[in-house]
Amino acid sequence: MPQIFPKGVNPLARLLVLGLPMMFGATGVGLAAFYRSSYATGVDEVVPQPVAFSHAHHVGQLGIHCLYCHTTVEDSHFANVPPTKTCMNCHMQMWTSADLLEPVRKSYREDKPVVWNRVHNVPHYAYFNHSIHVAKGVGCQSCHGNIDQMNLTFQSKTLLMEWCISCHRNPQENLRPKSEVFSMTWAPGKQVDGKDQVWRREDLPNWGQVADSNGKLVDSKWVGDLVGKPRPKTQGELGPVLKDLYGVRDAVTMTGCSMCHR
Amino acid sequence: MKPDTTDATPPSATPPQLWRGLEEYMDSPAFREAMADEFPEDAAEWTDPVSRRNFLTVMGASLALAGAVGCSPRPAPQRKIVPYTRQPEQMTPGVPLYFASAVPVGGYVTGVLVRSNEGRPTKIEGNPDHPASLGGTGPIEQASLLDLYDPDRSKDATKSGTPVPYEEVTRAIRRTLFDDRGQPKRGVRLRLLTGVVARDTTLADRIGALLADFPEARWTQFEPCGLDTVRDGSRKAFGRELTVTYDFAKADVVVSLDADFLGAGPGHVRYCRDFATRRRVRQHIPAGQEKEYTTPEKMSRLYVVECMPSTTGSVADHRLPLLAGQVEAFARALAAKLGVEGAPAPGALPDAAQKWLDPLAKDLLAHKGKGTCVVVAGEHQPPGVHAVAHAINNSLGNIGQTVFLSGPVEARPDGKMVDLATLTKEIADEKVDALLVLGGTNPAYTAPADLKFAETLQEAVKKAKEKKKDFFRFHLGSHQDETAALFEWHVNEAHYLEAWGDGRGFDGTAAIQQPLIAPLYAGKSAIELLADVTNAPVREGREVVRAYWRKWFTDSKQTGEFEVFWQEAVRSGVIRGSAPAREAKAPALAPGWAAGAAPSPAPAGDEYEINFRPDPALFDGRYANNGWLQELPRPLTKLSWDNAAFVSPATAKKLAVEKEYRWTAGERGRTEVSILTLTYKGRTIKAPVWILPGHPDAAVTVHLGYGRKRAGRVGNTPTELNAAGEPARGFNAYDLRTSDALWFGNGLKVVRTKDTYFLACVQANWVMTQKDPLDGHIIDRAPVRRGTVADYQKNPWFGKIPPTAAGEADPISHNVPGPPEKPDDASGAQFRKGTTYGEPHEHKHDEKGKDDHEHGEEHDRRLLPLTMYHPNDALYPDAKIKARRWGMAIDLSACTGCNACVVACQSENNTPVVGKYEVTRGHDMYWIRIDRYYEGTPDSPDATQTYFQPVPCQQCEKAPCEIVCPVGATAHTADGLNDMAYNRCVGTRYCSNNCPYKVRRFNFLTFQDWATESIKLGRNPDVSVRSRGVMEKCTYCVQRLRYAEIVAEREHRPIRDGEVRTACQAACPSGAIMFGDLEDKTSAVGQWKAEPANYGLLAELNTMPRTSYLASLRNPNPEMPKGA
Repeated sequence: MPQIFPKGVNPLARLLVLGLPMMFGATGVGLAAFYRSSYATGVDEVVPQPVAFSHAHHVGQLGIHCLYCHTTVEDSHFANVPPTKTCMNCHMQMWTSADLLEPVRKSYREDKPVVWNRVHNVPHYAYFNHSIHVAKGVGCQSCHGNIDQMNLTFQSKTLLMEWCISCHRNPQENLRPKSEVFSMTWAPGKQVDGKDQVWRREDLPNWGQVADSNGKLVDSKWVGDLVGKPRPKTQGELGPVLKDLYGVRDAVTMTGCSMCHR
Repeated sequence: MKPDTTDATPPSATPPQLWRGLEEYMDSPAFREAMADEFPEDAAEWTDPVSRRNFLTVMGASLALAGAVGCSPRPAPQRKIVPYTRQPEQMTPGVPLYFASAVPVGGYVTGVLVRSNEGRPTKIEGNPDHPASLGGTGPIEQASLLDLYDPDRSKDATKSGTPVPYEEVTRAIRRTLFDDRGQPKRGVRLRLLTGVVARDTTLADRIGALLADFPEARWTQFEPCGLDTVRDGSRKAFGRELTVTYDFAKADVVVSLDADFLGAGPGHVRYCRDFATRRRVRQHIPAGQEKEYTTPEKMSRLYVVECMPSTTGSVADHRLPLLAGQVEAFARALAAKLGVEGAPAPGALPDAAQKWLDPLAKDLLAHKGKGTCVVVAGEHQPPGVHAVAHAINNSLGNIGQTVFLSGPVEARPDGKMVDLATLTKEIADEKVDALLVLGGTNPAYTAPADLKFAETLQEAVKKAKEKKKDFFRFHLGSHQDETAALFEWHVNEAHYLEAWGDGRGFDGTAAIQQPLIAPLYAGKSAIELLADVTNAPVREGREVVRAYWRKWFTDSKQTGEFEVFWQEAVRSGVIRGSAPAREAKAPALAPGWAAGAAPSPAPAGDEYEINFRPDPALFDGRYANNGWLQELPRPLTKLSWDNAAFVSPATAKKLAVEKEYRWTAGERGRTEVSILTLTYKGRTIKAPVWILPGHPDAAVTVHLGYGRKRAGRVGNTPTELNAAGEPARGFNAYDLRTSDALWFGNGLKVVRTKDTYFLACVQANWVMTQKDPLDGHIIDRAPVRRGTVADYQKNPWFGKIPPTAAGEADPISHNVPGPPEKPDDASGAQFRKGTTYGEPHEHKHDEKGKDDHEHGEEHDRRLLPLTMYHPNDALYPDAKIKARRWGMAIDLSACTGCNACVVACQSENNTPVVGKYEVTRGHDMYWIRIDRYYEGTPDSPDATQTYFQPVPCQQCEKAPCEIVCPVGATAHTADGLNDMAYNRCVGTRYCSNNCPYKVRRFNFLTFQDWATESIKLGRNPDVSVRSRGVMEKCTYCVQRLRYAEIVAEREHRPIRDGEVRTACQAACPSGAIMFGDLEDKTSAVGQWKAEPANYGLLAELNTMPRTSYLASLRNPNPEMPKGA
């Protein structure tokens, strides 16, 4: 039987033996990379808003606390965008005629809300709850990035499921003392005013208070053990302590489907 | 495809002990064939009226769109955030609030707490403070939420059907009633027609004020399914109108004379709770809860004498099926046996009833003078029965102990009241100048047929037009219904969640009806309308109600500040101390209490007795456009979307109706039945027949509430015709109902036609049957373990079943997860250890014991690691926080099958309504179903026992569904929930195939209504709305669990027992469902599960169900005739 392929094709065949898997592999890697790219996830993309609100100015420069506007973040799954009234608390006094603020004034005048574009779009079947993350020592910064430096707000993390899960598997890597949750500058071991960080009462669950057998509030053992003592200087040491302290549950519990999907 | 009828297996020699329907009892080959399939044949086929070609076209288009949209690499389109401009007080976006309100049904209210998500009412719970609720609700209260979002509600004020401004209508009413100077035209013959209005409420007060201005005015209260007989009965017995309430918690012996006190009527939710306290039998009653549970010795005994099988009759210890017309004879005979002085002469009674009298009388006499028994007469029985019941209670010394008499609850201003018949006559005689119908009543549909209300009104309008006379007609109602069509002027009525109001419960306790949302369609309540019409100085609903209660506060000399009183009344939903005082001592019987003709004889020859009953879900028909209630399988018949003429098996035989329902196309929900022609007093209707075990012979029962002509898109279906070929849902039984026989009467003629009709019946959907692989017989899996108190006292563990296979040493219920520690009682310890992984380990993993036992020696060796449940304490033995172990227990002795849990679940979990056609295909989507089983033989109705078993997902620790899912869409959490991740599900349905409990539901089609805007408002935002191609099932209300967990963990404290309740548990009026954390040693659910009567459904399959059942107990009287 005559050969179908001429002999010259042999190198090509050899090449394909190696090349085809590599091509498939490369396609897979490429698709996976694309899936995680900022183009597909929307990371770092500024979302247009009716009012060009600058977190960099209000938070970074003026130092307004997150909770001044996002009041519900400790109580609700939803970290609210403030009502117009909150803006007007200050802007009735200052920049009262700035063009930039006209939509806000109009909203206040006509009692019609400012319609903001959502920056962090979690799929509707994922039930994210802000309050529990804040309560367990996950900093705003951990998910929202350096908001205090954003002139216009954008998403700084992918919000992919793998990103959620990676932290739910290893929460200790992203825990910080409760008193530092809203800080944009905190880092483990970082000195503040030239001094090492020490444990504070606010870091303890329920401010270090527990009910005794009579229902009276007394200081927990943590107060004596921790308050005033230096905090561990690396996340590797600090994380497990915080996980224990705040009763953060284990990976099996935290990666159950119904933790997020209902 | 037809069921394979060539199956040669002969029917079982012995019928099954428990059966759901006659065909199961007879065990026909066709039935077995149909049951063998997981899904009904062609359940997945697309057989909608849309043609296949059409479908492909549509699908092609959607695929193209999907390609354009679904596969876009860019992030999902931005959603919007719309904050408040000024945020209301108390409101935290994302955190629901609860407000107290009151659901009016038939003139009486039940106090409820309504959940509000950002201002939208989304769920109704019972109000623990309100005496008519005590935390429970019925299905109607639950479903009344959907009425708010009913897209077919009347949305405008209209004149002759054309929308007009509301002010134009009020001007027109004012012109009719008042002259130019605003003075009332005193001569106007004004007629008001309302449903029952409670006495001493704002509306009653406002109507009274209106009537005072018009001496010629008259008021008619018409409630088609009201309590007229109860009222007349008290008048007959005591000479005055009294409200009768009962205390079933105190009663050792309860005798019901055709009273469905657990299933219907204003107080039934409360009665369920009271009654259950004497039915939940426990070995160990926790301290402080002695009033919640009972010991076997103190379990109460319930005798029911009734016609149509009711929920009350179904949970009775002894049930006597008796023609409704013979109940009076029975009552009289019982009174005579009890030695009641002046008891009227009894009539003839059948033998079965005669045999009842002696033991029953003996049982009652044993409690004479102790105030621990009660005789209850039903509202479907004539006043004479009530009078006899009062006399019996009086003679047994029950009045003031278990029976309470108090002042009337319904408003009836003296001299101003006329009944509907008089009103109709006045209309016919043109003696009415203005007719005002105020909400809640639909006489054109519900009036007795002999009154011809609608025709008379039409005639009068025509005559008035001819004579150019004014005949002003105004209607206030939530829908443009049958009555609205006859009225020139109409105003859309506000839903009770949209307007301020008040009402009184079954015992007269007042409740404030607080709105949660501004009227969606600018509707008005009757209170607001009357204020606008009369130009009252205060017109805003809240202020009118407040003004009334301010007056009440002053008049009744309450102490304290009014404002404090008002805030408390609104907050708690209850006005304390507002119930009319109970009679201090038993009033003397009126002289003529025993008077009255002899009871009606049994129907003779070919005639039958006809019984009218309100539909268990649609009530008198006012909920006909409520999809939740329409689809709700009725407690006993399990029919959905239809009513039927109910007959006994013997009567069916006599009528030559086939005993076996024919399934067509293998669809077991679709049952083909004969159509009957019912002729009563010259009027004829056509009705499909349904054979109901337990129904007495020679009687036919029909449910009112169907056959609406103008209900809306749910209640009327142009494409689906009823038995008479009309485009209505079901048949209208009001067409046969006459004012002299409101509830029953003799002389019905029944003829079977050759036509057939399809009914949707879920009784054969989702059955847990399994064929024996060897002989093909259906295995008796003892789903309901049942016994008598005597059995229980002998062996409280009777519910546990012996091992099914060799080598299995322990009783199967070992496999039911229980509380973590063994109770100290050694006698039952071996039955109670049963935790999966929770047994304390004394040894280390690598330690070798003296008998070289492996780790897990204490565990059941049958437990193969076929599970995805990894409790974290097994993976992390040194974990500091133990995982919670959620579990549920259901007490079958307390369940009355009322369906409250089913609707509550539907409301909480956004479960869709699928429609009659889909129900016939076994596509109903209920996450919790109530299985109804019969025991006994269908041919002797007095020997049939009924059992209810609610079946939600059992949350097996070794869940068979999980190991077969190819995509891991269903998996276990550490706290033991069998999770369902909808977004991961690809719809293979293997999980449902492998589920032995058949609790998984598949969205074969897009059952959710994505189009109707108003429906979206009512959905629970914490639960995903599932679409086509996704499996779903009970989650133990995981959204509530996670919410409670988050709240507790935020505060760094454990979840308190009872802090989180599932929707079904919260709704259950009987408190038959308990839920909680099994890891919590003191949890109530752990205590329930530690009871010896606890067993696992199909636990022999080693699924380790987290839901378990407490065996059903009955307390029969050994002296009663056998089989009763």
